Amino acid sequence: MSRFLVDRDGETHVRLLEGMELTKGQTVLAAAGLVLLFLVPDITRFTGLSFTAIHRGILFGLAAVGLNLLLRHTELVSFGHAAFFGVGAYGAAVLASHFDVSSGLLLLLGGVLAATTIAVLVGYFVAGYLDIYFALLTLAFNQVLYAFVLQSSYFNYSDGLSVRPDGLNPPTLFGLEWTSAGYDLILYYFTVVVLVVSLLVMWKLINSPFGRALDAIGQNRTRARFVGIPVEKYVWVAFVISGIYGGLAGGLFALLQLHVSPDPTLYAFVSGEILFMAILGGFGTLVGPVIGGVVLVYLLVQAPFYVEYYNALTGLTLVAVVLFLPEGILGSIPKIGTGLARRRRDPGLLREDVTAIGSSLRQSVTRAVTTVRIIVFGVN
Amino acid sequence: MTTGPIAGTDLDGIDRRTLLKTVGGSALAVALAGCTELLQGEDDSLEDADVPDEPIESGLQTFTEGAPAVLGVQAQYGAETAVRRINENGGIAGREMNLDVVEEGGAYLVNYQQFVDEGKDVTFGPISSSGHAEMVPEIEEQGVVNVSTDGTVTTLYEEDFPDVTYSFRFQNHDVMEALAAVNQAVEVLGADEIDTYAGINPGYAFGQDEMELFSQGIEQLTGAEQVHSGFPDLGTDDMSTHITEINGEEPDVVFSSCWGGDATLLLEQGHANGMFDNIELLVGTVLYGSANDMSADLVDGPIYSGSRNFYWGEPSIDRWSPAAELVDEVQSEYGVVPTAHFMSGYGAVTAWATAAEKAVGLLGRWPEQEEIATILENHGFFTPAGYHTIGPDHQGYSNAHFGELTWSDERDAAALADVNVFSAESVSPPPGETSGDWIGSW
Repeated sequence: MSRFLVDRDGETHVRLLEGMELTKGQTVLAAAGLVLLFLVPDITRFTGLSFTAIHRGILFGLAAVGLNLLLRHTELVSFGHAAFFGVGAYGAAVLASHFDVSSGLLLLLGGVLAATTIAVLVGYFVAGYLDIYFALLTLAFNQVLYAFVLQSSYFNYSDGLSVRPDGLNPPTLFGLEWTSAGYDLILYYFTVVVLVVSLLVMWKLINSPFGRALDAIGQNRTRARFVGIPVEKYVWVAFVISGIYGGLAGGLFALLQLHVSPDPTLYAFVSGEILFMAILGGFGTLVGPVIGGVVLVYLLVQAPFYVEYYNALTGLTLVAVVLFLPEGILGSIPKIGTGLARRRRDPGLLREDVTAIGSSLRQSVTRAVTTVRIIVFGVN
Repeated sequence: MTTGPIAGTDLDGIDRRTLLKTVGGSALAVALAGCTELLQGEDDSLEDADVPDEPIESGLQTFTEGAPAVLGVQAQYGAETAVRRINENGGIAGREMNLDVVEEGGAYLVNYQQFVDEGKDVTFGPISSSGHAEMVPEIEEQGVVNVSTDGTVTTLYEEDFPDVTYSFRFQNHDVMEALAAVNQAVEVLGADEIDTYAGINPGYAFGQDEMELFSQGIEQLTGAEQVHSGFPDLGTDDMSTHITEINGEEPDVVFSSCWGGDATLLLEQGHANGMFDNIELLVGTVLYGSANDMSADLVDGPIYSGSRNFYWGEPSIDRWSPAAELVDEVQSEYGVVPTAHFMSGYGAVTAWATAAEKAVGLLGRWPEQEEIATILENHGFFTPAGYHTIGPDHQGYSNAHFGELTWSDERDAAALADVNVFSAESVSPPPGETSGDWIGSW
């Protein structure tokens, strides 16, 4: 076998990095995904899809990838990850509007540093807590930041700050001033590169001894402590890394939107959306949160142009994911693929599916009738 | 105090052609001004123009849901009414108009971009100041004219974007209504009688800005001292702590820019806690915006409110009947009394439509975006609310109204009595000067 091809369990795998070996199918999917990402500007030009909405979705997806480090591995649910996204965005906006920093990369760096600082502070206070206490603490810190920004003249209250150092034009990228279309395109490709690198780093991280330790912490903190893992410290570090991803996404969001205000970046609902993105795309996977980000942002910002009751659409999607795709869009693909293959081989299974759905509905109705009877008559 | 441009016109005492000339020379301008009886065939100059047949596509973003829908839906009704009148009267230079409406909440930029991608000829909205500020550079880049319905933040065109081409707003800006409130307070109580004042304003940029402008204005005119300034959250369910503070301080004037549910809550809790026994006057810039949500007992007391740009009793309906006709039309169509935000939507569409038709008349063909933008600068036009102008700074200017909040049995809604009309130039700085500097120079 060559350096890039290895044999595992009798099957040829493609080795991308040390320890990163993909099956042929996975390699094709990854390559297709990468090509798709690079073709997005052209695809949107010919299909009428919104380029900006997809770009925004990828950025929120990147924040969801960061959140997923906590969710998937330490099994901690953060309700406050918009804090880092928002601080990343505001870090860039403050440098642009108060200090006239014109380099996009410096603005991004400023945003990431600000988010990292906040993540270090918040992480220190929340790392020792579990379950609902952890969730509520992260939410509380998120709300404190939101309220602080909303009431502060330095951050221009709810009207927010512009990310246009000279008032009208976007920041420079790679030392050059771009036209509006050029800026959007370069920023998009830069985002794609950042996303791919971030995914590779995350993959490395979760497949390292540190990642395994996080898994152990998620499964049982007490046992993890017994085997010598400094649980709080590791959770703290994971929290900070997660915050850095949020800050990176927020900084890029500021460069894309060129205006940052509290509601779309720091509000607690945004935290909920980031969490939903991870679940929607499949929090058991590495790339799922990115898919979830694109799908949810598209539903939130583009659906109003096509569907009158677009909020119901988001709700129905959530219901459908919880009921039918509990492992998310990407996480469910293998199961759906296997199921479809089995039904192709044995069409008789389709009849069983219909019977199963029918009996499930019958059971639901029976349960509902019983509940109503208990409520009305007090006894079953 | 009634000053400023001709706000009303005696329809019985003026011939058709003169009125047509006054409102801009076209049947469309007359229709949008609300003079429906004068509509037939006056557009000879437009008939030969080289204008495409396909309808004009336009998009409005406004709040259609949640708490801000109190304003947003009125703006939607206004824009729809204007578009309906345009189409009923043969369109703009013969072109009918389509209007798509989309919820603005948090997606201002994306909405504008989507409208542009869809090939809209013009875009209207948003209501939100921050949304408008976010959109302006994008509008300048994309070059598709946008007329904001509200987006009233004072600094927008004064300091943040003093030199723009395609971005306009129909609505009076904050300084106009805050200073109208100052003038109203001085007129009712007298400058010498105002020693202290307080404020309860929504806890976000709009409320902060309005309070700051009111403070500057009233301190400049009366030397009064501020004794309390509270900023309850938008959509709060309790203002009692602020009301208790005010009851303790007993200021002469309380200023509020609360709107929607916050405005009715302020009045409810103010009455329940005896606030109106402890103050001389409450002046609220947009309390009247909640006219459809108020009850008769809430408007009892020394409460004065502004209607930014539209109140059916002003211009007086015996001199200018279109306002009353519009109220009847809107009540029968939508079951509401149109307020200032109705006029935001109506006026934004009207500003653009009359400018576009004026451009066709001048050019003999359908104008480019830049040409419409040029016409919109210094553009004057009538609506049922009276006369409006878009200044060279792209701001909307019209008379500001202030009157005592009262109850109309006829309309079954809150109304204004003893309305004062403040001309635009008496409550806002001249283009090129900032509001702060201007107030400081009084």
